[in-house]
Amino acid sequence: MFTLFAAEAGEGGGGLVFPSIGNLVEWAPYFGEGTIFEFNKIGLISMLAMLIPTVMFLLAKKDMVPAGLQNIVESTVEFVEDQVVMSAIGAEGKKYLPLLLTIFMFVFWGNIFEVIPTFQMPANARMANPVILALVAWATFIGVGIKAQGFGGFMKSSLFPPGVPKALYILVTPIEFLSTFLLRPFGLAVRLFANMLAGHILLVTFGVLCIALWQASPLVIVLPFSFATLVGLTGFEVMVSLIQAFVFSLLTAVYISLSLHPHH
Amino acid sequence: MGSSVLLFAAEAEEAANPILPTLNEMFYGAIAFGLLFVLVKFVLLPPVQATREARASQIRGDLDAAERARSQAGSAATEVDDQLAGVKAEAAAVVDAARAEAEAERATIIGAAEAEAASIRSAAEAEIETARAEAMSGATASVAELAADAASRVMNRPIDLASAQPVVDRYLSNPN
Amino acid sequence: MSFLASTAAQVVELAAEAEVDPADAKATAGASSAGFAYGLAAIGPGIGIGYLVGQAVQAMARQPESAGQVQTTMFLGIAFTEALALIGFVVFILLKFA
Repeated sequence: MFTLFAAEAGEGGGGLVFPSIGNLVEWAPYFGEGTIFEFNKIGLISMLAMLIPTVMFLLAKKDMVPAGLQNIVESTVEFVEDQVVMSAIGAEGKKYLPLLLTIFMFVFWGNIFEVIPTFQMPANARMANPVILALVAWATFIGVGIKAQGFGGFMKSSLFPPGVPKALYILVTPIEFLSTFLLRPFGLAVRLFANMLAGHILLVTFGVLCIALWQASPLVIVLPFSFATLVGLTGFEVMVSLIQAFVFSLLTAVYISLSLHPHH
Repeated sequence: MGSSVLLFAAEAEEAANPILPTLNEMFYGAIAFGLLFVLVKFVLLPPVQATREARASQIRGDLDAAERARSQAGSAATEVDDQLAGVKAEAAAVVDAARAEAEAERATIIGAAEAEAASIRSAAEAEIETARAEAMSGATASVAELAADAASRVMNRPIDLASAQPVVDRYLSNPN
Repeated sequence: MSFLASTAAQVVELAAEAEVDPADAKATAGASSAGFAYGLAAIGPGIGIGYLVGQAVQAMARQPESAGQVQTTMFLGIAFTEALALIGFVVFILLKFA
């Protein structure tokens, strides 16, 4: 906002000046500036993404006939169990339900602050949380693979895929190593991060456009369309938040499943 | 525009790379995620799963009870059917017995009636026979008398009726 | 890619000739290559996701009973295909702002 108005004042002619990306994603610290304990909006949203599911689960009743909050909590659990665990791993994946449910809820609540007024910032539009989550997923599927197949077996099944001529392993093995151990976590983190950052920038763009059009000029007739697009995109971003949470947990489940049954 | 680009360039230089994660955010993210995972695994999820499991088992039990009730109703229905069949058979037996009795009664009545009719008929026949015999003997006598009379008129001498009687009798009994 | 590099080099050269601030010229070059980078990165995944979702819709229309399975697989496929476009987006951010 400051940049927008300052730039307008500096140019003297108004016009649309897009704020720099630092203004969009970097937040002033609340306390602990300059240390590792520096607590800003992202940290606050991370804490809320932990606290909100906790409170929801604690407040949900344990009735036989679910209603209200209990319904939401149980459908969340059921969704992750059916759509993520059962569809990607199967019945033996039930023991990974806590991890996948945690990932799902943490990602979702980190994302949904994108459209909550006064926050309007997805925590996952900063690389920090996606990196943490991707590292957890990475460590989990490697640990599961080593536990299920042994270290040698896991390395063999992930680096030397069967059915490839022996000579081609010179080519295949480095590619498999890259794709399994580097591109998987990188892809997980970047997918979540870039989706949320893109959505955030999209919303900011139309928000800035609406503010810039809010003045006495003939262009003000475009304002309703810009505003309608902003509203529509807000709904779209709610959907994206949910889908990204689903995709992140589903991909983690798929990687776990690939570690459990390598030859599928 | 040039000045604003300069402004942004200056800002970008002092700002960190927007792609790279910052340590402080990672710190709080890791704490939040780790705490949430521990809470979900040991505190939050088990009661929810227990509730869902209890509901599932209750539904299963209810379904079983319904199945049992249905099979019970089925057996009761077959029992009723059996009873109905027994009653029907009994009724049929009663009807058969009654019919047989009636048949027997009818047979005796008809027999009695037939016997009566036969006795009446035989009595009547005997009566007719006697009447015929009487008439025959009466006719024989008058025929003998007529024949004797006709013979005496022809021969102009009286014929003893008693001596002619055997001839007449022989003729009548053997008319050929 | 050489096209992009030559464009950027040209911009910087032109800036040097016109005695523009080198930082300004660098920002301009970065912005123009950022546009190219994202535009190019969006083509392939755009086609890919369109084809993927189209096939998934066809599969679901043919066998509505397996729609859930197809949907999950579709989301997985979209996630993998979309990653390319998102890497392009990250490159865009890097070129434009970093």
